[in-house]
Amino acid sequence: MKKKIIIGLGIYTLFFLLCGIYIIYIIQSATTELDRLITLHQVEILREHYLLQVKRVQTDLTLKDTRHKRTFDTVVQNVVSMGRIVDTCFDCHHNQQATERLQDLKKQTETYKDALSRVLTLRANTARILAEEDAAFQIGEDLIGKVRDVIAITSSKLAENTQRAMIRIARTKYMLYFLVGIGPLMSAFLGYIFLSGLTNPVNVLLDSTRKLKAGNLDHRVEALKDEFGELAASFNEMAASLKEQMLKMQRTEQMVIVGELAAGLAHEIKNPLAGIKVAMHVLSEETSMSAEDREVIRKVAQEVVRVESLMRNFLNFAKPAKPQLADLNVNSLVNTVLAFYMKSRPSAPDRPNAVRIEKDLQPLPETMADPMQLQQIFLNLVLNAVDAMPNGGTLSVRTSHEKETDFLRIEFADTGKGIPRENIEKIFQPFFTTKPKGTGLGLAISKQLIEQHGGEISAADNPGGGTVFRILLPVAAVAAETAT
Amino acid sequence: MARHLLAACLFLFLLAGCSQENTPFKPSADKRKTILIGLIPEQNIFKQIERYEPLAVYLSSKTGTRITLKILPRYGNIIDNFKMAGLDGAFFGSFTYALAHAKIGVEVLARPVALDNTSSYHGLIFVRKDSGIASRREMKGKRFALVDKATTAGYLFPKRYFHEAGIDDWKKYLGEAYFSGTHEDAVYDVLNRKADVGAAKNTVYYRVAKADPRILKELTILAKSPDVPENGLALRKDIDKALRSSMKDALLKMHEDPEGKAVLEQFGARWFIETTNADYTPVVNYASEIHLNLATYDYIND
Repeated sequence: MKKKIIIGLGIYTLFFLLCGIYIIYIIQSATTELDRLITLHQVEILREHYLLQVKRVQTDLTLKDTRHKRTFDTVVQNVVSMGRIVDTCFDCHHNQQATERLQDLKKQTETYKDALSRVLTLRANTARILAEEDAAFQIGEDLIGKVRDVIAITSSKLAENTQRAMIRIARTKYMLYFLVGIGPLMSAFLGYIFLSGLTNPVNVLLDSTRKLKAGNLDHRVEALKDEFGELAASFNEMAASLKEQMLKMQRTEQMVIVGELAAGLAHEIKNPLAGIKVAMHVLSEETSMSAEDREVIRKVAQEVVRVESLMRNFLNFAKPAKPQLADLNVNSLVNTVLAFYMKSRPSAPDRPNAVRIEKDLQPLPETMADPMQLQQIFLNLVLNAVDAMPNGGTLSVRTSHEKETDFLRIEFADTGKGIPRENIEKIFQPFFTTKPKGTGLGLAISKQLIEQHGGEISAADNPGGGTVFRILLPVAAVAAETAT
Repeated sequence: MARHLLAACLFLFLLAGCSQENTPFKPSADKRKTILIGLIPEQNIFKQIERYEPLAVYLSSKTGTRITLKILPRYGNIIDNFKMAGLDGAFFGSFTYALAHAKIGVEVLARPVALDNTSSYHGLIFVRKDSGIASRREMKGKRFALVDKATTAGYLFPKRYFHEAGIDDWKKYLGEAYFSGTHEDAVYDVLNRKADVGAAKNTVYYRVAKADPRILKELTILAKSPDVPENGLALRKDIDKALRSSMKDALLKMHEDPEGKAVLEQFGARWFIETTNADYTPVVNYASEIHLNLATYDYIND
């Protein structure tokens, strides 16, 4: 669209530039034509003026030696003016023929001036004086005739030139009107094209925005061109992302509600369970009770303990305790957890279903973390790994420091049957479990606790078979504020 | 306080006095003088105007005084017009200056030096080559074109020319004697067979001959007069000395100024030289030899 706008504006500018240039040319042509006409009229006026001046001098000559004669100075001034007028005629550019006529006119004028000078200065007998006066007068008459001829030719040509010029000027005028009229129309047309090119896609986007606002998250912008196409693609991506985020938010809200409900329920259940537990304990003290009844009471007490454990897990997930940060050596903690497991496992390592432990613990920097929470997490992962290998296998534990990101990397890998692909995305969701007696909260709680430390936990297939759980823990762990 | 006020007033008075004393004198533009200079009809009067106009403009710019030209229809009118038309000066011919100096007391400033490095002219008496006239003897009964009674070459010289031959009543000796008014017309009258004999100054003769080759081809010169000063600028005696000096200085230094040099070239001269009354002695002697009294001479053409 940017290119189209630039090209359009270029065409727009070029169009108006050409119109402007042409209008200037038209005005210049008309002005030049009018200037030429004015000049021609001025020339005609000048020649008329020259004729009048010659006649005036001729009159001065006629009135000489009469009682109406002009003064010598006046006559001289008139003759000088006449000479200047004819000289002025040569200021303009003429063709060769016109120049020759003017040259002849000038020559005749000089002859006339010479004759007049003769008349004005001669002192002789009457016959000689009259002869000179007559000669001068005749030269003057000849000059008048020539001037009239020149004026006639000039007038004729002036009329022709005027007519042609007026025709050209009229044509120029109509062309100017046309351009002045078509200019706004072209402007409007181009403006409409530009506006259409801009407003149509914008309207489509606005319409889509309104539908999105109305809650139609499945609406997608139809294919648009140029930058608007990119904008449409971004809009579609945004809509898809928005829908996804909304779904996640719905799930989160559901989880929050469930969590709060579970917490409340667990709290309310704890008290009766405590009473039942005490009652069972009291009953177990009865010496008159049969062995069979005593066994029943023991089972009841055992189930009560199980329910208590379930309730505690609910509470831990719903209201996880904030981490109590302390300097911690993760390798030491891993060793502690593994040692605890070794002591508590039911079978010996040499038995067929025994789980063999492999450790690869790299030197690690001290980490700020909650040791109890991390112990809980690590223990949970170890127990899950062991449960994944009921027939025995190898539990590999690896730790390392990623210097580039300043994160600790802790991995727990088993060699069991692995997690099905369709479940691997769900194992961190609360209440998801494939164990008959599981609560489905262990990994969810672990994930929650790790995230409180600013870390990450993930699960993946182990290249050698089984599953590997990977924890990334920042060295400078900062207890993140939990959303809940 | 009174003392301080008095001191301030005194200071202001002193300051005003200093300011007034330091103000240079500058003449008002309204007091600019106009000088009217007469031109004699040495040649075609319109050509004469064209010839002297650039010089007048130049002198105006150099002197700060407006120089206005006035062409006169007759040589003799230049003397009358000093009295009637209020001329302040004129470019006089040699004889007209002698007359004007004697009658009205004008004083000459300077005169031009021609391109041939001469600052004088002489009179010529000429005829057509095919006229059959070779001496005064053949002029009997012929038409003589003079210039003006107030010219050396156009009247004084021919008068002496006939006087030397013992012909004092030369008007009766000739068939017709008239005044062409200008030296140029005298030349052309002979050339165009309107007159049989002509008299004119050599500078004009050769100037028009340069423009019209027929003159040298068809005319011949029979006699020449002694040299007399070329036309010089003279002013009235009562003209302001500063202005007189300014004009004289401008004329004498024209050739040193590029603008002035251009004007001189157009005028047809190399430069101007200082001129005094002593330079006109040949004219005075010439007149004396024919018993002509300059103070009482009647310069009006018959």
